[in-house]
Amino acid sequence: MTPFDEAFHASAERHERAFIVCVIVMMALLTVATMFYVVHDFGLVTTTQSFHSDPTAAEREVAAADTGRVVKTGPNSYAVHITGKAWRWTPGVIHVPEGAEVTFYVTSSDVLHGFEIQGTPVNLTAVPGVVGTVKYTFHRTGVFRIICNEYCGMVHHAMIGQVIVDARAAE
Amino acid sequence: MSGRAFTPGPVVYPVETDEGWRPERRMMLLFLIAGFCALLIGASIGPLQALNYDGVNAYPALRSIFHTYYQGLTVHGVLNGYVFTFFVTCGLLVYLPARELGQRPSMALWGACFGLMAVGALSLIYAMFDNSSSVLWTFYPPLKGSPFFYLGMTILTLGSVQPLPILLKMRAAWKRAHPGCVTPLVTYMSLVTMLMWTLAGVGALSELILQLDPWSLGLIGTIDPLINRTLFWLTGHPIVYFWLMPAYISWYGLLSRQAGGKLASDPMARMTFALLLIFSLPVGSHHQFSDPGFSQIWRAILVVLTMSVAIPSIITAFTLGLSLEYAGRMRGGLGLVGWFRALPWSDPSVAAQVLGALTFILGGATGIVNGSWELDAIVHNTTFVPGHFHVTVGSVTAMTFMGLAFWMIPHLTGRKLISRRIALFSVWTWFVGMTIFAIGMQWAGLYGVPRRAWVSALPHETYHALYGVAATPTALIAVGGVILWVATYSFFLVFFGTLLFGRRAERPAVPFAQALSGPVSHETGVAIPVATGHGASVLANRLEHVWALVGLTAVATVAAYVPILWPFLHNVTHSPGWVLW
Ligand code: HEM
Ligand SMILES: [Cu+2]
Ligand SMILES: [Cu+2]
Repeated sequence: MTPFDEAFHASAERHERAFIVCVIVMMALLTVATMFYVVHDFGLVTTTQSFHSDPTAAEREVAAADTGRVVKTGPNSYAVHITGKAWRWTPGVIHVPEGAEVTFYVTSSDVLHGFEIQGTPVNLTAVPGVVGTVKYTFHRTGVFRIICNEYCGMVHHAMIGQVIVDARAAE
Repeated sequence: MSGRAFTPGPVVYPVETDEGWRPERRMMLLFLIAGFCALLIGASIGPLQALNYDGVNAYPALRSIFHTYYQGLTVHGVLNGYVFTFFVTCGLLVYLPARELGQRPSMALWGACFGLMAVGALSLIYAMFDNSSSVLWTFYPPLKGSPFFYLGMTILTLGSVQPLPILLKMRAAWKRAHPGCVTPLVTYMSLVTMLMWTLAGVGALSELILQLDPWSLGLIGTIDPLINRTLFWLTGHPIVYFWLMPAYISWYGLLSRQAGGKLASDPMARMTFALLLIFSLPVGSHHQFSDPGFSQIWRAILVVLTMSVAIPSIITAFTLGLSLEYAGRMRGGLGLVGWFRALPWSDPSVAAQVLGALTFILGGATGIVNGSWELDAIVHNTTFVPGHFHVTVGSVTAMTFMGLAFWMIPHLTGRKLISRRIALFSVWTWFVGMTIFAIGMQWAGLYGVPRRAWVSALPHETYHALYGVAATPTALIAVGGVILWVATYSFFLVFFGTLLFGRRAERPAVPFAQALSGPVSHETGVAIPVATGHGASVLANRLEHVWALVGLTAVATVAAYVPILWPFLHNVTHSPGWVLW
């Protein structure tokens, strides 16, 4: 090694050690931040309602719960049961009140679909035979699109539904 | 300021003096050409997809080739993601170690590797072009393609693990001849890559062999979507490292030499690869954060593991930066950025790899976003995701392989590049195009624009109502895509032009790098490192025990997957297949 090599190498080793420590600390902090957010916003996380060995049973469960209507489940909470089937969502238009907690029960009766509500973090895979749930509170009135974001065949791009968030009726 | 004190011009490679290796060179060339032919088809389709997102629908005009956007997208994903990368990698990871060790590879096995992958690829191409299998490159059931698709995929994957026995054999022979020595670096990295990939392949291969092959042949009637999705991602995550590690091999093992310097740290390179092996396998289900069916605790554990797998890549960035700095300073570059300017930018091979590495800053950062569960909920299955991986596999891997081709074709064929300028032009346009494209895709994803969607086929008003908010980013996507077309065809002009019409010249030798520290060796000259005694690196010695690393990885993977698969195995869904295109 030349003297330049020696000097370069020595300084490189020092920097390398410092760098690795920084990286590990940074990733640890990121992990902690992610966990914190998850715990405090748990409702957005995909959970499982039920499994069925017959894929159409999940659809029937969702349909039986209430034929596509929005069900009031508490003072300020609602539930909606939704099935994806190539290439539409049932129900296709969902009305929910502003500021209420809405639980979506989502399944599919054929292939995988993706239940994405544009402009929100709601994002859940609709799997045949499994009912998944996700909770969300809409704080803004207006039309939100349900976009299928898991490829489901030729007309996948047109599998669009709507969530219409209505203003609270005056008391 | 340093002015232009540095030595301009490319680094002169040593001339190959060893005129043997003719069969190996020919075989390597075959792998290279097969891989790049796949890229030629795949990359020609990419810009059509980019235009699609800007509302431009080219597919009605292409009906005689592609029935739907999704058929084209299946071809793009399969040919670029699997066929291109597998062929180049399976050639490289045998050829480079063979030359480094001076050991002849088993030509029978290597030929079988090529043969299997060729049969698999042709079967896939047949199934994709007859529109029987527009299932995309992830082929999630219960969408059901033709047996040619699944069998082709099975054979291609089986072919892609063949380099492992070849490497093990060469390494054993070399070790017998050099008792007490540490495996030379390029061989070590290649071996760890193949061990990783072979372990990873268990997921997709069991999905294919136990489920999809018999299902598509009609031997079993129904299939469970979640189990198969999980098995797919057991392979589908590590595959990203099968894309990246060959590029890292080139960066660690060759690039510093090509740039006129030395590798900053050999033991660090080994440690990076060991960490990649251990961490890339257990984390595949982070692709399923949005799926129902498995516990929140496991999702949280996956976040931790996913963040850990970023560490070796960030170490690579450091070591690579340092090696390039050393090279730049040796060439007379001064000051904070002078060394960067002093790199041999007129060498298209160096330019391709350094620019590819630069795009990885964007690719790596967005990967951390995807890995963050809650952030993933916002970007999952939007264009953000392809935006992310086009600045990993679409730039880091693709550009490094392009850079490799620029020295390798002259090395293998004894023909000079027909035009260094066009080669440089293709590299820079790829860099600029891919960066603009990826920024557009990522930005559009934040507006909820879904990936894998033929949005340009929607009625005009619907397209605008849904995605009008993303007009600026989708315009960037289109601009980037068109620039990439120019880049692709200028690259292939040089590639095929050189193969056919390049002037005969002396063949450059493989530019193996020397390390500034730690043991590195290859057949030409550099002292062979010893495992014990003065000068031996403790770290390099520890990491010689590759089977211990494999065992550790296997245990971690089983531990990670049992709790995830458990509920699925107890609640099997019997889904029939669907053909919906
Ligand atoms: C020539 C430049 C390229 C352009 C313009 C391009 C464009 C695109 C676009 C727009 C998509 C998203 C399509 C969609 O989600 O609907 C895509 C997907 C993809 N691209 Fe590229 N691409 C290029 C090169 C590459 C390269 C070099 C690779 C890999 C080596 C690659 C691998 C992939 C893969 C694996 C997908 C995913 C396909 C899927 O979602 O099923 N692309 N590409
Ligand atoms: Cu869909
Ligand atoms: Cu992954």
